Amino acid sequence: MYGWLWHRLPGNVPARTAAMTLIVLTVAAVLWYAVFPWASVHLPVDASGFGG
Amino acid sequence: MGFAVRQVIHTTGEIALTAGAIGLLFIGYLVWGTSLRAASAQRQLGSELNQQWQQAPARGDAVEAGPEQFHLSTGEPFAFITIPAFGPHWRFTLIQGTAMAQLDVSPGHVPGTQWPGQVGNFAVAGHRVTAGNPFWSLPSLRSGDLVYIQTKLDNFTYRVTSEKQVLPTDVGVLDPVPGHPGQRPVQRLITLITCNPAWTGTHRVIVTGVLVSAKPR
Repeated sequence: MYGWLWHRLPGNVPARTAAMTLIVLTVAAVLWYAVFPWASVHLPVDASGFGG
Repeated sequence: MGFAVRQVIHTTGEIALTAGAIGLLFIGYLVWGTSLRAASAQRQLGSELNQQWQQAPARGDAVEAGPEQFHLSTGEPFAFITIPAFGPHWRFTLIQGTAMAQLDVSPGHVPGTQWPGQVGNFAVAGHRVTAGNPFWSLPSLRSGDLVYIQTKLDNFTYRVTSEKQVLPTDVGVLDPVPGHPGQRPVQRLITLITCNPAWTGTHRVIVTGVLVSAKPR
């Protein structure tokens, strides 16, 4: 998976490392700001409300 | 081993590691991310409330004679709650509603229950963990601890009288006379609700208090 991605990235090693870091950070940001807020509402983590 | 088999094992390992990393990130989000989000929401709600109170006519104007009225839509702030037993910096706004969308930014007033100072039962629910852990210490409240509710017109003081644990289905604690549906209330109660044990939804901690003073601001 990561090897496949690595071989498809253009440029030399530093350029690929930079691109890879950028991809990982982007995915993490999407998770943190979009997916997790949505998931935390729909998962039964600390359901302090009442009556269902 | 053939190339294909090794490839499958390799990819499976990578997916498992990635899932683990995402899981850790999610835990980090629940512990820190939700608190940061709630803290900025609290600042916003607090200044919104102070602004509203400055614009609105204060008690003494003919318009506002009689007991304080509350007409709020879901998510709107209406009061500050202070509990000295939780430390000198513990203060949250209270908003209308207790769905996850509200609890994730602030403790909320349980719709259908009474309002601060009213005869009956003023019920407030808040997260035990996440969103700034507002009610983390709720189970440690003892009889005699004070709960202050500041609204536009009044400062209400409630004194804690009891604490118990119930199931989430035991909605009788929200009755005007808790546990006695249909009975006519005479006391002015507050009910604070959070989940127990922390991180779960299996039980609720219920802290009940009674109004001991109501002073116009």
